[in-house]
Amino acid sequence: MRYCKWAAPACLAIAFTASTAPTARAHGYAGDRFFPPTITTDDPFAVDELALPTVSYFVNPADDGSPKTRETDISFEFDKEIFPRFALGVSNTYIFQKPDGERAITGWDNVELTAKYELWLSEPHEAIVSVGVKGDIGGSGRKTIADSFSTITPTFFFGKGFGDLPDSAGAFQPFAVTGTIGQSFPTSSEAANTLEWGFAVEYSLPYLQQHVRDIGLPEPFKNMIPLVEFSFSTDENRATRGITTGTINPGVLWETEYFQLGAEALIPVNGRTGPHVGAAVQMWIFIDDLFPKIFGHPVFGG
Amino acid sequence: MKRPSIFPAAAAVIATVVLFTAPRAHAHRYLDHAEPKVGSEVATSPREIKVWFTGAVDASGTTIEVFDSNGTQVDKKDCHQDPNDKALMIVSVPELAAGTYKVTWHATSTDTHKTKGDFQFTVKAKG
Repeated sequence: MRYCKWAAPACLAIAFTASTAPTARAHGYAGDRFFPPTITTDDPFAVDELALPTVSYFVNPADDGSPKTRETDISFEFDKEIFPRFALGVSNTYIFQKPDGERAITGWDNVELTAKYELWLSEPHEAIVSVGVKGDIGGSGRKTIADSFSTITPTFFFGKGFGDLPDSAGAFQPFAVTGTIGQSFPTSSEAANTLEWGFAVEYSLPYLQQHVRDIGLPEPFKNMIPLVEFSFSTDENRATRGITTGTINPGVLWETEYFQLGAEALIPVNGRTGPHVGAAVQMWIFIDDLFPKIFGHPVFGG
Repeated sequence: MKRPSIFPAAAAVIATVVLFTAPRAHAHRYLDHAEPKVGSEVATSPREIKVWFTGAVDASGTTIEVFDSNGTQVDKKDCHQDPNDKALMIVSVPELAAGTYKVTWHATSTDTHKTKGDFQFTVKAKG
């Protein structure tokens, strides 16, 4: 099984981090603002995170002789803070594809490795800027599903909460925006370079309740964050130059002490993206709360 | 016929095991609710400010402070934990004049997770 080749190093890395925790820091915070991990756009924090699982369903349109294809993806992502504000991550996706009129295809996509560094963080302004790079390892997935070539994507991340608005605009203080802009460089001359861009607009009901005005929301609503994510990809060269595909994803996240559940609709922005609305659900496990001696602090320099 | 993948079942099993067999850690503590309520207006000065957290906190690393609109600390600096509720911290305040007050809190869970936050309340002018 191809994917097992990185399982041993991953386990060793996890075991290596199993030292006593001096001081744990909160996941995804800039000042009073908790930036939740989002489903289709990556959040800007370099912290310990585990998404297990993310399940999505989408229908890909017919294209260049290939039929319309129903696709279900089941994926995971694990990130570990190595140095203060610097994290490494690994993720992968198991893909189920059913082309119209053809046999189903299943298998692992390529392994994706990520590195992220929190460049700047302002607590008073609930703002953060990070930089990172994603690497899709060509040939690490099943040949009939995954690309045979690698793709490197330097990425810029940002997050901004609006808790610093004047008190007269208190109703807007729970808003926050996160986003990413990445430039992909495939190693194949046949694949297009793409601009990967997206952002999420969130309205945090916990922030409203805890920092602005207690309006008496009951459980589970007091811990929900309604949001809309926008996730796009624009081809920059080759035959598809200038073509943008993507989805607009309204949904909601629900926070608990130990995990976050999220669900979103995946609305295609054009016919090239897909003919139907899809869906995604995700569970983030707050491993720094569940295993505070192992997670929630960097391996070195904590 | 290709055998179905074990990954979906394995992912569900791993997630379940992680969530429900993990040692009961003491997660980040956040404000659950307060008296006076966050963002509220009260007709008379409260005698105490009460902050309920989302779970038990370490009293030695948890503080509540109250400031007036000039930034002057006005509480009696006697922040303490309710002996019957480890999630409740209380600080006394003198008779507060009409105005807006800022309550800042720093919470530490027993596994050293630190969180902080603030909120305001207003004492209405009499009349």
